[in-house]
Amino acid sequence: MLRFVAARLLQSLIALAIVSVVVFVLARATGDPLYLILPMSASQEDFDNARRYLGLDRPYVEQYLSFVGRAITGDFGVSLRARRPVSELIRERLPNSLKLAAFAMGVSLAMAFPLGIMAAVKKGTGLDRAAQVISVLGQSLPTFWVAILLVEFVAGRLQWLPAGGIAGFSSYVLPGFTLGWFVVAGLMRLLRSGMLEVLDSEYVKLARVKGVAERRVIWLHALRNALIPVVTFAGIYFAILVTTAIVVETVFAWPGIGRLAYEGISSRDFPVIQAVVLTTVVNLCVDCLYAWIDPRIRYAR
Amino acid sequence: MPAEPAAFALPETAVPAAASRGWRLPIFPLGVIGLFLLVALVAPLLGLPDPHAQSLRNRFKPPVWEDAGSWKHPLGTDRLGRDMLSRIVWGSRISLSAGVITVLLASAFGAAVGLTAGYYGGRVDAVLMRVTDATMSFPVILLALILAVTVGPSFTNVVVAIAVILWARYARVMRGQVLTLMQLDFIAQARLAGAGAWRIITRHLVPNTLGTLLVLVTLQIGYVIIVEASLSFLGAGIPPPTPAWGSMIAEGRDVVTSAWWVSLFPGLAILLVVLAFNLLGDWLRDTFDPKLRQL
Amino acid sequence: MKRATAMARVFLLVLALLGMMAVGTGWAQPKTELTIALSSFATEVLDPPLGGHLVKYYLSMIFDYLVGTTPDGQPSREGGIATRWENSPDFKRWTFHLRKGVKFHNGDELTSEDVKFSIMRNIGKRSTTGYAGPLRTLIQDIETPAPDRVVVVTKEPTLIIPLYLSRSLSTEGMITPKKYIESVGDDVFARKPIGSGPYKFVEQVTGSHITLTAGDNHWRIGTPKYKTMTFRLVPEETTRIALLRRGEVDVVELSRERVKDVEKDGFPIHYRREESILTMWWVLGADGRVPPAKDKRVREALNLALDRAEIAQSIFGGKAEPAAVPLGLSWSFKDVGFKQTPDMMYPYDLPRAKKLMADAGFASGFNQDVYAYQLPGLPEGKTMAEAVAGYWEKLGIKSRLIPVDYPAFRKAWFDRSAPGAVGYFNIANRDWIGAYALLEKQAYSASKPSDTVNDPEIDGMLSQVMRQTDREKINALMRNVYTRLRSEHLGVPVVYLHSPYATSKNLAKWNVGSVMYDLFFDQLASGK
Repeated sequence: MLRFVAARLLQSLIALAIVSVVVFVLARATGDPLYLILPMSASQEDFDNARRYLGLDRPYVEQYLSFVGRAITGDFGVSLRARRPVSELIRERLPNSLKLAAFAMGVSLAMAFPLGIMAAVKKGTGLDRAAQVISVLGQSLPTFWVAILLVEFVAGRLQWLPAGGIAGFSSYVLPGFTLGWFVVAGLMRLLRSGMLEVLDSEYVKLARVKGVAERRVIWLHALRNALIPVVTFAGIYFAILVTTAIVVETVFAWPGIGRLAYEGISSRDFPVIQAVVLTTVVNLCVDCLYAWIDPRIRYAR
Repeated sequence: MPAEPAAFALPETAVPAAASRGWRLPIFPLGVIGLFLLVALVAPLLGLPDPHAQSLRNRFKPPVWEDAGSWKHPLGTDRLGRDMLSRIVWGSRISLSAGVITVLLASAFGAAVGLTAGYYGGRVDAVLMRVTDATMSFPVILLALILAVTVGPSFTNVVVAIAVILWARYARVMRGQVLTLMQLDFIAQARLAGAGAWRIITRHLVPNTLGTLLVLVTLQIGYVIIVEASLSFLGAGIPPPTPAWGSMIAEGRDVVTSAWWVSLFPGLAILLVVLAFNLLGDWLRDTFDPKLRQL
Repeated sequence: MKRATAMARVFLLVLALLGMMAVGTGWAQPKTELTIALSSFATEVLDPPLGGHLVKYYLSMIFDYLVGTTPDGQPSREGGIATRWENSPDFKRWTFHLRKGVKFHNGDELTSEDVKFSIMRNIGKRSTTGYAGPLRTLIQDIETPAPDRVVVVTKEPTLIIPLYLSRSLSTEGMITPKKYIESVGDDVFARKPIGSGPYKFVEQVTGSHITLTAGDNHWRIGTPKYKTMTFRLVPEETTRIALLRRGEVDVVELSRERVKDVEKDGFPIHYRREESILTMWWVLGADGRVPPAKDKRVREALNLALDRAEIAQSIFGGKAEPAAVPLGLSWSFKDVGFKQTPDMMYPYDLPRAKKLMADAGFASGFNQDVYAYQLPGLPEGKTMAEAVAGYWEKLGIKSRLIPVDYPAFRKAWFDRSAPGAVGYFNIANRDWIGAYALLEKQAYSASKPSDTVNDPEIDGMLSQVMRQTDREKINALMRNVYTRLRSEHLGVPVVYLHSPYATSKNLAKWNVGSVMYDLFFDQLASGK
């Protein structure tokens, strides 16, 4: 078992190394940040000086090695735009993304459970179909549109909830719902099929014959069986929520890591781009690793 | 779209039984998709105004049923005075083809990788799966943004950016299917009979995994259309003046209350089409899944 | 059972996380807080030498300038550290008399040493402010004969020193504490700045907000009306407006499109009239202008083909005025005595434009790349570019919209890798010194990368201005520059943009002023 995990770890590291090269190349391909940093009246000499000052004139291999070398110690360099250490920016913003993703996960589960259970128990009826439509709806609407409509009407007109920024529990609701609705369908399907699998099994048929109450059958046996894959995939979805929240973060002025990535890409801020992409990839990789280790998921896949 | 985890077990044969419970043929999804496909195909023949024709004087004209509306522009006009109905019809070509092309590219490549990995196993499998893992963990939107910023946003870049990441999902699923299949007797028999790799793959593996592939493809077309919309919002989608539903919604987001039709109609179009694809995909999944078949 | 515990753990985790959120603090909104929501902070820096333009909004609260400005952009003896200044007869020595008793937020007294230190630091190696170039070329030395007197010595006679160090331009004139910076270093200071302005820095969360707190009495504004001033970064307009409706924010940057909506609900709108000029220009080639725009007739035709009135009314919702002079910064017209005559206005004259094109040999049109991007403060950017392309279509010009973002355009512009393509910017309007500073960048061939004009006559005129000490001569030179920019059609001016700012209903009176990138929030907060 240990050898297995170690082997997987090594393979993931190799994957990480490849990704780091890809990220490095991609970041530098986006353009030249100096055109944004330096004023319009900068002369060629100013450009050369700035390039030297920021270390952008070194050969690419050297830049890459120094990037990797420092990245291992957690030092991702200094943001070319904000002139602050990137690790500081990430430390400031990553928790916001994590918190939002956690809340969104909660909302998602809170929606997926009743919908999934209802769909499984009432399979084939109108309720089943309704539950499916409601969850699938979350994947059929562009996220930014839902977000903007919610901000305009629920926050702006009805004024039931805050419109943006992080400020207490209520400010999580709208962005969390917008983000969470997107993954409800996947979780709901998992729950539904997991429960159906059990409801159909010999074990349950036996229990029913023995006269066990239907409610007990549903809650105790079927639900419990369906939970493991749901929980596992919730973990994977969580990582995905963190990395795809950029639209929600923009609309709700949520200072998270998605928005940091966007700002970095817009200003061709290499250190930020590299750092954010690496962080999100590691984030997702870890969950892939976990899912892989769990034999049940491996089987179910 | 988040990982598609549903329990896929393989039917003994590839013939799907009609779903005994649930709805029969999914009329609504098929109808909607059929309608939009038809409209997309015959768009040039419909005699609609040029979707690119600007007229600043006529900007933000409301739909015909409003006071200031007219039959000249039944669904109103956008910020440059272009006819909304025409743009939605022509936009169907763009959005649908973006979805279909991306998914076809991704699934073809991904299936190939998955089949190869599953069939050969061993070192080949290990290497291919590592690459797949690394790819799958790369955020699509970030890659699309980087591409857009590097070479400029375009239809091609959107397709490429999404396909380059999306294939990994197909590879994973296909590999899983293939692994299960490989355990079955008829594969061993075919091998004993002397069948080569190509023959086994094309004759036995592909037909038996086609169902799964079809389900995934159907579900992912909707996903691609939605991602394009998000990319447009961030400035990395299909650029103007091309009418694409996603960018139309994004363009109308500042007038969401005053000129509500600019966002609403393309939004409804996306909603209907993507919902239809998702429901169709769900139905296909239900159909191909034997566990449910028996109920 | 294992499964039960796993299930329980998950639920508890989710509940715990949800509970954690509930302990968050809320944005309390007592009357003592002023919150401003903007769409962009640009580089979000806190250190003047790193600053450019948009950062001025909040930096001008934390720091004082050497030379103050009135809201209309005139140098003022009341608003800056210098209570008066004078020049030597040869215009090579500028003496500034400093206000006494000014203290930095850490208690240190502000003296001439700090002024010297700040100026040198603001134009030093690390500087990316934007206007440091001419200062670097000109300044020979800075003397500090007394704690309340600073003398700037220049290599050549010039008038620009007090103006380049004033609030009306950029951040070069901001005074920073020498002792403090020397003791903690640049990096620490850049994260926790200390100035002498009416508001102290409290915290910054990048991508979210910058919070300042008021000191006690300050010579600039008396006892501040607002204890806290928060600048919030809210990129999405719908969200900004929703925040205003909810009362979470007092001042929001508004787009012209949504003014009607917001006004209808009773929120006061303040306009910065002609806050910027939207002007288009051609990207030059390695050796300057390339055909077809090399031909003056083509340039004139492209100008005549635009219906500026329609553009102003429709795309900009009437909150814009047709512009006539390329790079014509109208706030400077008064300063230099430039009168824009009616005949300078481009009529919308398609037939004449077609004739000019035919005369130049382009009756069948040509291919034209038009860059289309958004800019801060210009959400209508892409729409405008598309509209212009549409107008030019009528001349037979096949426009290709290039959808890259502004940084990519700027690269193409600076590298001169897309000669003949058209780009644009909404240039912040400014007084005459600011206008000169801009023209020195964009209309002066010696500033090769950012030049858009490439005209030897204008080059000659601009090179004289910096070293000119006779104000009359400067004015004449500037007037000639504007006249020639227009007569040679060296750009495509589109419209002057009025910028709306919506405020909450109970906000005090506020003169938004007409100083570049400065909304004079100290006016709002003033207890005087």
